[in-house]
Amino acid sequence: MDFKLTDEQVARRNEFFEVCGELEKKKPANFSGIESIYDSDEGWQYHLNCAKEFAKRGWIALGWPSEYGGQGSVMDRVFFAEARGYYDTPGVDIFGVAMLAPTLLGAGSEEMKREFLPKIAAAEIMFCELWSEPNAGSDLAALTTTALRDGDEYVLNGQKTWSTGAHRSDWAFALVRTDPHAETKHRGLTFLMFDMKTPGITVKPILYMDRGHLYNEVFFDDARVPVKYVVGEENKGWGVTQLLAGFERSSLDAIMMMRRQLEGLVEYCNETKVGGELLAKNPIIRNRIAELACQVEAARALAYRVADQQAKNEMGAIDASAVKVFAGDLSARLARLGADILGPYGQVRSSKWAPLEGFYEKQYQQYFILTVSMGTNEIQRNIIAWYGLGLPRMR
Amino acid sequence: MDIAFTEEQEMLRTMVSDFLVKECPKSIVRELEEDEEKGYSPQIWKAMADLGWLGLIIPEEYGGMGMTFQELTIILEQMGANILPGPYFSTVVKGAMPILDAGSEEQKREFLPRIASGELIFTMALLEADGTYDASGIATKAAPQGDSFVINGTKLFVEMAHVADYLICVARTKDGASPEDGLTLFIVDVRSPGIHCEVIPTMGMDKLCEVRFENVAVPKKDVLGELDKGWPIIEQVIEKGGVAKAAESIGGMQTCLDMTVTYAKERVQYDRPIGAFQALQHIMADMWIATQTSKYLVYMVAWMESEGIPCAKEAAIAKAYVNEAYKWLTDRTVQLHGGIGTSRDHDVGLYYRRAKTADIAFGATDFHRELVADRMGLLR
Repeated sequence: MDFKLTDEQVARRNEFFEVCGELEKKKPANFSGIESIYDSDEGWQYHLNCAKEFAKRGWIALGWPSEYGGQGSVMDRVFFAEARGYYDTPGVDIFGVAMLAPTLLGAGSEEMKREFLPKIAAAEIMFCELWSEPNAGSDLAALTTTALRDGDEYVLNGQKTWSTGAHRSDWAFALVRTDPHAETKHRGLTFLMFDMKTPGITVKPILYMDRGHLYNEVFFDDARVPVKYVVGEENKGWGVTQLLAGFERSSLDAIMMMRRQLEGLVEYCNETKVGGELLAKNPIIRNRIAELACQVEAARALAYRVADQQAKNEMGAIDASAVKVFAGDLSARLARLGADILGPYGQVRSSKWAPLEGFYEKQYQQYFILTVSMGTNEIQRNIIAWYGLGLPRMR
Repeated sequence: MDIAFTEEQEMLRTMVSDFLVKECPKSIVRELEEDEEKGYSPQIWKAMADLGWLGLIIPEEYGGMGMTFQELTIILEQMGANILPGPYFSTVVKGAMPILDAGSEEQKREFLPRIASGELIFTMALLEADGTYDASGIATKAAPQGDSFVINGTKLFVEMAHVADYLICVARTKDGASPEDGLTLFIVDVRSPGIHCEVIPTMGMDKLCEVRFENVAVPKKDVLGELDKGWPIIEQVIEKGGVAKAAESIGGMQTCLDMTVTYAKERVQYDRPIGAFQALQHIMADMWIATQTSKYLVYMVAWMESEGIPCAKEAAIAKAYVNEAYKWLTDRTVQLHGGIGTSRDHDVGLYYRRAKTADIAFGATDFHRELVADRMGLLR
């Protein structure tokens, strides 16, 4: 068992941290988390600027095969995620880079790989994911949006929802029903890409509880898209979505973000007096911060194990689910802890009265983005129970 | 980075596990728990000495195998998984390790080969009536008298002292400016006149003793480390001992998880295995998460200890985290077993009781959280 990084890895990791540290200095006021990427024009521009900076260095394509512009290793990608998490740096399109690119690498045609991977690597194109529907959330295969073939085109009708960043993205990848008469709901689904400017596509905002614009509803009214952008085979889209299970998702970005937040809380408690006494000296606060620090470190240790397994092409999917659940719950606990420590100031939105730029007022509301999206924590627990522990599925 | 056991480490793991499954089934564990006199099996002790496990971390020049702390935690994980009552932990972690870290060449030559061969049982007498691992808890005094020090005081919760040959006693030799100042460690022959030992009845039935020192003379040559400057050695014992104890605990966690999942697949209610109910599946998923996070945290810190990377904060983190995880997981293990889980006859209780004793050993959760808070830089 060896957790040591090589000198080369240490140097590489430091480089990622340095660049993200520099980018942090250009961060717009009150920028934090994924909502900030999509909510304001300023945030979106910062995301694009960071993306260009990373693209210039070839960092968006870390761990990809070199023929599609890839460089570096899977571990480099892990270190890069750590650095971005620590500094809360955007610039890597969660959908295009983290979801679509590995899917294309696994199931896309040579033509599609050559068309899209270089554009993704160059940060020239941003994606959204159109999977969930009003009646297909955790039970994704229950989706009903249809794509019926008409010559070289599909005609799309239906509605998608919880579409993160659909109002800003250039293109989408969607899961749609191409065979409404298939025997089971998992069959007859197709993984399809298309331009969001296609006539017949309407995007409407769903505001988050803090008024942030992150999510959208997307409506299709006879939107016609080319058949040639199917990923994998028609009616076999479900299998294509499952490719993602084996792709790197160590959650180290979220974990490193929490590490930074704890450092910020320590600093705040060392500077802030309540009733004439530094918060740092309050035994309850000391205990609660330490408790969280223990949990963050435990998450980090298992996340490295996940990353190491994935770098070796071993699956580690169950441990990846474990880390996701744990890190999600942990971010909720951390948000509550921060808001508690701030006392009445924990409720203040960014303003002159808000300590730490109002971070905990936002985080208290936004942590659900981690525990609900990309497979709720309950679905992840099902996965651990069924595939990790071999417990029977109740039909 | 290679976060997996090496082939040699896997072999050691399997060998220890196979040995314990065969030589120390739960019937023996229960027998040893009830055994008021010894509480360990001399046959198993001898066999472990022959296999080299007592000298695992002792360098070859002192008759050991010269392996690292990481290999020790591999053995301890399996001992925790199978439950091995006896003085292995006290001898190796509380005896051999401090002698290795702080002993003189002469002391190493005198004691380490005899520990490796299984001839000597060691333990450490640290805690007193206050029950704290803070230096302030140590009131036992040692006063110089000719070529000796004379020790007076009462030590509590001294593991396996009733069968030990030697114990390392922590005593106050000077009233210093701070509680940490003026502490000295002594290697004491348990047969010295003036030592009285009595087993305290405890939840873990793990033979924690009261040891009274009444004018016990210890030759000056048996001081371990420097006079009046023993605290850093004790800090090391608490740090490494805590990680070692956490290594035992992760073994116990894996066993409890396995037992629970097996039971949930077999036990049928409402015409289906209870493991098919999501209410229980999610608890077991959380048990998996707790086990995996605990394991890799301990592996990471054990690796740091082996590499000599300073890890006082990380060690405290590991102990505090695993304390809570093991207690919670054994609670859930009993709960998911239902009535049978609460019975004396079922193995679940063996682990449930040990999770609490493991929590207490080397400092419970709040003690270590305070160390973490301090080491994170929160001002005191």
